[in-house]
Amino acid sequence: MQHFFRTVGTLALLALGAAAQAIAAQSVVDAGCPAADAEALAWLDKMSRSSHEVDYRGVVTFQRGDDMQVMQIAHSVAGGSTSEQMTRLTGQGAQVERADHPLECLHPGHKLLQVGNNLQSGGCGIAQHYRFGVAEGERVAGRDAVRIMVEPRDMYRYGYVMELDRETALLLKTSTIGRGAKVLERFQFADLAYGQKDQSSAEVATVHRATHPNPGEAPAGQSVGLDWSPHWLPSGFTLTDAAAQGDRRRTYTDGLAAFSVFLEPLRGDIQPGEGMARQGSTTSYTRGMAVDGRPVLITVIGEVPVNTARMVADSVTQAR
Amino acid sequence: MSEKLRESLSALMDDEANELELERVLSRIGDDQDLRSAWSRFNGARDALSGQPHGLSQLDISSQVSLALASEQGSEGSRWQRMMRPVASFAVAASVAATVVIGGQQLAQIGVGDDASRSVAAGVSAVGFVNSLGAMPVQASYGTRSAVPALRPATRTAYSELARQRMTRYSQEHAEHAALNTPQGLIPFARVPRITE
Repeated sequence: MQHFFRTVGTLALLALGAAAQAIAAQSVVDAGCPAADAEALAWLDKMSRSSHEVDYRGVVTFQRGDDMQVMQIAHSVAGGSTSEQMTRLTGQGAQVERADHPLECLHPGHKLLQVGNNLQSGGCGIAQHYRFGVAEGERVAGRDAVRIMVEPRDMYRYGYVMELDRETALLLKTSTIGRGAKVLERFQFADLAYGQKDQSSAEVATVHRATHPNPGEAPAGQSVGLDWSPHWLPSGFTLTDAAAQGDRRRTYTDGLAAFSVFLEPLRGDIQPGEGMARQGSTTSYTRGMAVDGRPVLITVIGEVPVNTARMVADSVTQAR
Repeated sequence: MSEKLRESLSALMDDEANELELERVLSRIGDDQDLRSAWSRFNGARDALSGQPHGLSQLDISSQVSLALASEQGSEGSRWQRMMRPVASFAVAASVAATVVIGGQQLAQIGVGDDASRSVAAGVSAVGFVNSLGAMPVQASYGTRSAVPALRPATRTAYSELARQRMTRYSQEHAEHAALNTPQGLIPFARVPRITE
């Protein structure tokens, strides 16, 4: 894997001279973060913005091992807010939609990617946690792409190879890379059109309206009667939304990956132990333990290695 | 309930189940009403035989977890209500699985007020060895290989089952937040086995 990144990294260096992308962060990066690849960071920044601001629709394939799903994606912007749909075309006839999402509503994960601002405040931002490289991409869904290689600097997260539309910086393809350069999961556009209205004819039985937690506001939910918190997180992960005291869930992101921690209080004793299940890049790690002398089940679920999940679960204690 | 399952269940009750039989029961108990009622009948019968007023059925976490679930469903979160319903049977299966292991193999000697049970419940030893694993990070790297502690086989099977069921149960709620905080838009929902309203 390292070798792979190094080889492509050399190519990226060659490409760097030729590429004349507007790089606002360049001087800042030179000053504060010598290890950061300014071109890659500029692409990530642009990618994060275009995912909100561009009108597009297309067909996406999603692969995990031998399993492949096909879905339709549509995203449109009107009157300062966006609406998007994902419709499953294979398997379950389900659709997820999110309407009226204000353009200026920026969640923590995207703030971490829009590094222009981040770097000016003195930090290296996401470049502290990943090494980036840029190379010539392949063609994806008929579009010329630029390839961004993302290699984790520690063992707590996965690597990625991303292909971005050279023109719009829209994310066209992502491979999630685990240990030993193994591709854990891959999604890519098979077909993509910009600026067209959605004219889906797919039959849908279930429509899920995606919720929209306000990042600054604690969600109202039933308390688990225990004020808890993990006391160790991999560096660079932050809460995605304000958690209320006694909330049974916390979700964290570093901008590229996310995991959630769930706590279930048990009213009876449980034999301490741990178990895990994996599906593509998703890990589910469940642990029976005691927090503040009370038996609980902690589950960490997300796109992180099992080691990360285990260490987070292990660090859950009563909030201090 | 098949004869084979009945035998497996009986073997479980007599602490004679092997891993295969345990898995057979665990994989079926979620959607087999007969199996669940047989389980609780057997439990009650054994308590009566052993003459213990605070017998194993007191430690039936399944009912307690489903009670917890029921109270959760009774709350105002109507979205949760709808979301939880299809997975309630999973939750019961998971907690019954835990009970099978505890009841069948571990807790025979643990009575109410027994000091040994307190220290087990506090999970002191378990946390200890997990910490020791956390101390060897370099070798583990980011990725799939990880040292799984040597737990008793039955406990390990039950916890793998729990992890699998929790993945099903929580993946949509996780995807809600991943979709807003990772670059792929709504695509994290593709990881949800079954999207519910």
